[in-house]
Amino acid sequence: MRRVNLYHDKRAQWAVYVVFFGILAIIPLSMDDPFTMNQYSRYGVFAMLALSVSLVWGFGGILSLGQGIAFGMAAYGMGATMQMQYQDPVNDPIPSFMLTNELEVLPTIWEPFWHTHLGLILAIGIPVLFFVIFGILMFQARIAGAFVAIMTLAMLGAWYNMAYDMQPYTAGFNGISPPSAFVAFGVEVDPYSNLIYWVSLGVLCVLTLATKALLQTKFGTIVQAIRDDPERARFLGYNVAYYQIVLFALAGLIAALAGLVWVMITQFVSPTSLDIFFSITMVIWAAVGGRMSLFGAIFGAMFINAAQSYVGDEFQATWFIILGAVFIIVVRFAPKGLAGLFEYVFGFIPYRVRGTSGARGDAHSASE
Amino acid sequence: MAVILDLQDVTKAYDEYKVVDGFNFQVEEGELRCLLGPNGAGKTTTIDLITGRQKATSGTIMFKGRDITGQREDKIAKQGVGRKFQVPAVFKELTVRENFQVAFSKNTDPFHNMIRLGRRDGRERLRQVVEIVGLQERLEEQGGNLSHGETQWLEIGMVLTQNPQLLLMDEPTAGMTEQETQQTSEIFNRLKGEHTLVVVEHDMAFVREIADVITLMHLGKTLAEGPMEIVENDPKVREVYLGTEGITDAA
Amino acid sequence: MSVHDFWTPFALEPFINALIIGLSLASIWLVAALGLTIIYGTMGVINMAHGEFIMLGAYSAWVMQFFIGIPWLLCLPLSFFIVGGFGWLVERGLIRHLYDRPLDTLLATWGVSLVLVQSVRLIFGGEPQYIDVPDELSTVMNLGFIHIPWMRIFIFFVSLGLVAMTLAILFKTNMGIQIRAVMQNKEMAASFGINSKRVYGLAFAFGAGLAGISGAMFSGLKTIFPDMGLGYVVEAFLVVVTGGGEVLGSLATAGIMGELFSVFSYFTNDTFGRFVLFVLIVIFLRFRPQGIFTPSMARR
Repeated sequence: MRRVNLYHDKRAQWAVYVVFFGILAIIPLSMDDPFTMNQYSRYGVFAMLALSVSLVWGFGGILSLGQGIAFGMAAYGMGATMQMQYQDPVNDPIPSFMLTNELEVLPTIWEPFWHTHLGLILAIGIPVLFFVIFGILMFQARIAGAFVAIMTLAMLGAWYNMAYDMQPYTAGFNGISPPSAFVAFGVEVDPYSNLIYWVSLGVLCVLTLATKALLQTKFGTIVQAIRDDPERARFLGYNVAYYQIVLFALAGLIAALAGLVWVMITQFVSPTSLDIFFSITMVIWAAVGGRMSLFGAIFGAMFINAAQSYVGDEFQATWFIILGAVFIIVVRFAPKGLAGLFEYVFGFIPYRVRGTSGARGDAHSASE
Repeated sequence: MAVILDLQDVTKAYDEYKVVDGFNFQVEEGELRCLLGPNGAGKTTTIDLITGRQKATSGTIMFKGRDITGQREDKIAKQGVGRKFQVPAVFKELTVRENFQVAFSKNTDPFHNMIRLGRRDGRERLRQVVEIVGLQERLEEQGGNLSHGETQWLEIGMVLTQNPQLLLMDEPTAGMTEQETQQTSEIFNRLKGEHTLVVVEHDMAFVREIADVITLMHLGKTLAEGPMEIVENDPKVREVYLGTEGITDAA
Repeated sequence: MSVHDFWTPFALEPFINALIIGLSLASIWLVAALGLTIIYGTMGVINMAHGEFIMLGAYSAWVMQFFIGIPWLLCLPLSFFIVGGFGWLVERGLIRHLYDRPLDTLLATWGVSLVLVQSVRLIFGGEPQYIDVPDELSTVMNLGFIHIPWMRIFIFFVSLGLVAMTLAILFKTNMGIQIRAVMQNKEMAASFGINSKRVYGLAFAFGAGLAGISGAMFSGLKTIFPDMGLGYVVEAFLVVVTGGGEVLGSLATAGIMGELFSVFSYFTNDTFGRFVLFVLIVIFLRFRPQGIFTPSMARR
């Protein structure tokens, strides 16, 4: 028997996830307000973004301020897919914003989006591929720390300008607003319905549990080791850059899926999805909730956004002052965020376990 | 016995200044070699060159008959060269057990490791290593919470977990208490024979305890080489350490 | 815009104009980046609130002129001291405690920037403000086909003046020598009795003051609004990091970046020019993360 912190008990952690997602899943049954469901679905997307930040920064030690790149790219891919679902190949083959931009034929890069499946594959595949290439560029050269932050930020700024500038292809500042909801397998995903909420929550749930499971594999231990001391890991025989590239791409995948769901919910994509402020805000959610805890990060995203919409528009300035101050305090005094606070409090709860590995016949269970 | 590590005419120069200057160095299999020398003699740089942390300006480094000069760190490590750093480096946020699991790196492919559960990996080896370096009581402790001596042992244990044929130890007893140093020299005497060790050390009592042969470096070159008694009485050595009580104090 | 007129063909006179615009832009980026260069170069701190220090400089100039009636030219040095003092407080209260955690400094200063933007919005409102500049500076200089506002010429020379002043302070004054000593080797400087904490505080205040003066200057060029800092900070960062945190490095990079951007923009347009520039910088940093002049520290 040995005293441990309940916070670190893996089974207790999984139980919290099951209860958390279980409660969230039945919310629509108790209220029937399409606008609220749309609102809550958005929190799900923000939670996915915080999840991606937590994975890459909290566990991988890579402070990426460019998660919005994957989010925005996927959002544009999804916007194009939904737009082309609305267009008619014979009578109305060209989106109206292109016509106002004097395009007479559909640009080649838009052609694949006639096919919904291909469109979805591209919407996810291109950002992930971009993260792989960008990751190779940075991590092969052993770029680390603040330089990664600056480089991802610059790259994000570059794509923001690109989306803004390529008006005939992206509708520029106005953005693309597909007139009809997304249809998959003959089902219309109405953005104001219980269905959209379950789609958003379902994606979040699958991503969270998959990430949680991933972190419990040896891969998960190794990326955390690399975060703690990349040099040591390298001399143990690990190709550190390879691990960082894979991790960066996985975080990009999560952010890309978030972008995809986002456009389903909002039926709208504009350069704001690539906004620098937005990408840094994701980091704030994860930091306040607890970057070294997946649950903390998604909870942080949901809580902060819920609070923000509760406060209302007229007090936005005051809200951001409070948020900024909280963020400063968290960074200065509590790098593990709210989750760290829980860890601390749970340390006082008397809780004992039998040596877990002993049950499985480990020779050293007696000494644990 | 066969030569396992062979440095031929290795030079490392920063602009005009040569930190390692035409250094020749051979270590035989199963040997425990101590690498000594005053600060700035080029000891740590030599270790850096062998493990690939720095690239040699000229010369060749052979390990087990293969040329490893200028290869990447992880590739050299995978061929069986383990290294302990001067400033002990362990994974601070991970538990001692997890530190050992990461060190058990038979397969380093990220995708392969995504389908392996960390806890089950290398348990047999963990038991053997813990038997050598201790730390049985501390397996669930965070790496960052260990004492200085324990951190040193953990890092030695991590390197051992890999079962490398050649172990490079940069000041393994730095900052240890006398008792801890004693325990460490016991560990080293156990490793001798099965592993080949190159130990950079300043603590002469410790060196006397463990070393077969010592190599004394000075200004990037070999000044003297041989058993302790011979090196100590070498007139060249006395000249370099003029005015001191021999190499014992200079270290 | 249609795709067909995306590319502008070369013509001498507009191209020369573009080069001049590039110089002017370079001087603006240089001034914005100068304070950051000191802060990053001395302490390795990535100060994300630098744009807001610039904004504070602009607002303090506006307040001094609007409420007290101080002439604009006098506002410039006064802004230096106001924002410098503010920066000193930020360093004492926050930055000082995070020196061994560079990523956290970056994030904490982002929090500072959030608080500053919103506080200014709360106090002065979100609408843009204008400032009165001397009549001589609000006209345009006409030289054949070249037309440049006098304000831009003024900024160009002031920026060079500020660089010269900064170099003089760094190399001629006691404080500057201490700053450079700490920049090169903190431990050794400490062994010579230099109080590195005090030096950091002064360097941060000095960098913030330079941001203040540049903000006050920009207030004569454009309107003032709470979010204006974001428009400078990204470019300023790229100048500083690419320049390796050295004053002359920033001078060179600002010049190169300004001209490259202006030339790209001439052939295509502003936003695409910025895209190309950012991508080029990312690639440059990939190969020389230590900056433009510093010798390579890579594995060799």
